[in-house]
Amino acid sequence: MLSMEAIGFALRALRDNKLRSGLTMLGVVIGVSAVVVAVAVGQGAAAGVTNSVGQLGSNQLTIIPGAGRIGPGQVGGATPETLKPEDGEAIKKRCARTVLEVSPQVRSTLVLKAGSKTWRTSVTGSNPTFLSVNNYVLERGRGLTEEDEDTRARVICLGKTVVQNLYGSRTYNCLGQEININRVRFRVVGILREKGASSFGQDQDDLVWTPLSTAMHRILNQNYLSSINVQCRSPKTMDLAQEQVVQLLRRRHRLSPPFPDNDDFQVLNQAQFLSTVKMIGGILTVLLAGIAAISLTVGGVGIMNIMLVSVTERTREIGIRKALGATEADIRLQFLVESALLSVIGGLMGVAFGASVAFAAGKITGWPITPNFLSMGVAVGVSAAIGIFFGFWPARRASALHPIEALRRE
Amino acid sequence: MDTQQHPPPAAPPLIGLRDIRKVYRMGDQEVRALDGVSLSIAEGELVAIMGPSGSGKSTLMHVLGCLDAPTSGSYQLNGEEVSQLPDAELARVRNRTIGFVFQSFNLLPSFTALENVELPMIYGRAKDRRRKALAALERVGLADRVHHKPSELSGGQQQRVAIARAIAGEPRVLMGDEPTGNVAMRQGEEIMQIFQELNEHGITVILVTHEAHIARHARRLIQVQDGRVLYDRPIMHRLLASEWLAQPENAVTSGPLEL
Repeated sequence: MLSMEAIGFALRALRDNKLRSGLTMLGVVIGVSAVVVAVAVGQGAAAGVTNSVGQLGSNQLTIIPGAGRIGPGQVGGATPETLKPEDGEAIKKRCARTVLEVSPQVRSTLVLKAGSKTWRTSVTGSNPTFLSVNNYVLERGRGLTEEDEDTRARVICLGKTVVQNLYGSRTYNCLGQEININRVRFRVVGILREKGASSFGQDQDDLVWTPLSTAMHRILNQNYLSSINVQCRSPKTMDLAQEQVVQLLRRRHRLSPPFPDNDDFQVLNQAQFLSTVKMIGGILTVLLAGIAAISLTVGGVGIMNIMLVSVTERTREIGIRKALGATEADIRLQFLVESALLSVIGGLMGVAFGASVAFAAGKITGWPITPNFLSMGVAVGVSAAIGIFFGFWPARRASALHPIEALRRE
Repeated sequence: MDTQQHPPPAAPPLIGLRDIRKVYRMGDQEVRALDGVSLSIAEGELVAIMGPSGSGKSTLMHVLGCLDAPTSGSYQLNGEEVSQLPDAELARVRNRTIGFVFQSFNLLPSFTALENVELPMIYGRAKDRRRKALAALERVGLADRVHHKPSELSGGQQQRVAIARAIAGEPRVLMGDEPTGNVAMRQGEEIMQIFQELNEHGITVILVTHEAHIARHARRLIQVQDGRVLYDRPIMHRLLASEWLAQPENAVTSGPLEL
């Protein structure tokens, strides 16, 4: 029998049993769309995180106080008091061959008051390297200078979200306006250009930048840092720089072995972080693909189940066809094509559905999610293979029926 | 098993059975459905096989139609030993050499009359299927019903579709297993008329029936009992379906005769 006729017979059989065919396909549709969505979202998320980490600069080290595996405290009181501004100066001086910039920072969440409006936000105290180290750009006014730092000047730069919440508009020119933080009066000297949400969903425009000395001595009254950001000269010497910084800090803090158990600080490496993120992304993709593979298998078992029922139900038809001259190979081909068509049509529908879900997810999350054409092709190919694999046994059972016995059955 | 080849006679018959046996095992018991049947049928004959139920006539028909393989014995069909052929070869013989008509029609319900008639030619990879199918349907008088589904046709019409299906591929021999068993009397006569006409045009026809009246339309009668041929004789005064149908009292198409 020609394969065109086998396809014709199979399409007919599927049409004659629309509801059942549809429900059987549903398993494959769900499986394949799961594959497409999983791969697209997994890759999109990884790309998004990689992007935003890349923006931070992959030759950056972040030193945070405390030995625990917890990030820098948002509230001043919760931060261990071991990291001092002198540590930053020492790094700058002693590691100059590998280190380009040192940006010590204190961070605290405080309430800002402008007229009758108030807004609670993260206030970062940092020296003039803040902009370049954190990839911020000034839109209006000026950045904070060494002079501001030396005089503990009461000046601040605002992010756009803060401007909107204190003055009602993102575009309001508030240069020269006065804002109270902890009953200290500040003057706005700069506005930062909008950066949008990070890939973790954090609003990067909801911040205030003030000189480090001002933040430590006029606002928070503390002599320790939240973190030190170190910009290395080159990604190649990152590891060396990290080693030098660690050794320096251990000496300065008079720490004794064993290390790293007795360290009272931690060095976070952006490159390490990036590879961790990529690894997590990879694990996530494998995990999702595993789930998708399981659902595809379940879909395949569903096809086999229905094909077995179909063979039993159509015993008489098989008998008629064999009596009229269909060979075992003809019958086998017919049922194989039928199950393959079930899964391929299901697979195509799954690709369409999965791609639209991935597209919608990209729109909603803002992640760069684009349906992956390779995964689509693989998904359809795999579903065809599943149809043939799980259709083989029912097809063999159909073809092995004896014509006389098949015709006797009602 | 007897796979021995018998030397063909000078003018080989279309069908030659020699000592055909078919034994079924049901638990410990052996059922001898066919117990040494030998017969030959020449090209152009019209043969009726009769016998009470359980006599083995249906098994004989299935063996003749290559739907079932004999346990032992030789079956020469059209000069070819077919008793021990593999499945694919048997399928080819069923498809090319034999046209089979069943008691219960056995049409595919979702296919139209035309598609049903084309079906065996698809498996036979025949060319010109559409034209041959239409010609066959016209021959059985159903030219105006080609796009009807079986459920839209009467029993007699369905059986005529089945006959069209059997003859469309131009087989050497046409076999009917109780072909009039499921239709009303007048429709049965119409079917017999088609068989007789086809036979007049040279097709060999073999019918299994338990109705003596139907059997008398044949030229030769083979009586089967207990898996053996009881007797095999020509029919002297055979009935012609066309005569019966021409009689005025039988000319009604509906009435007390329609069951």
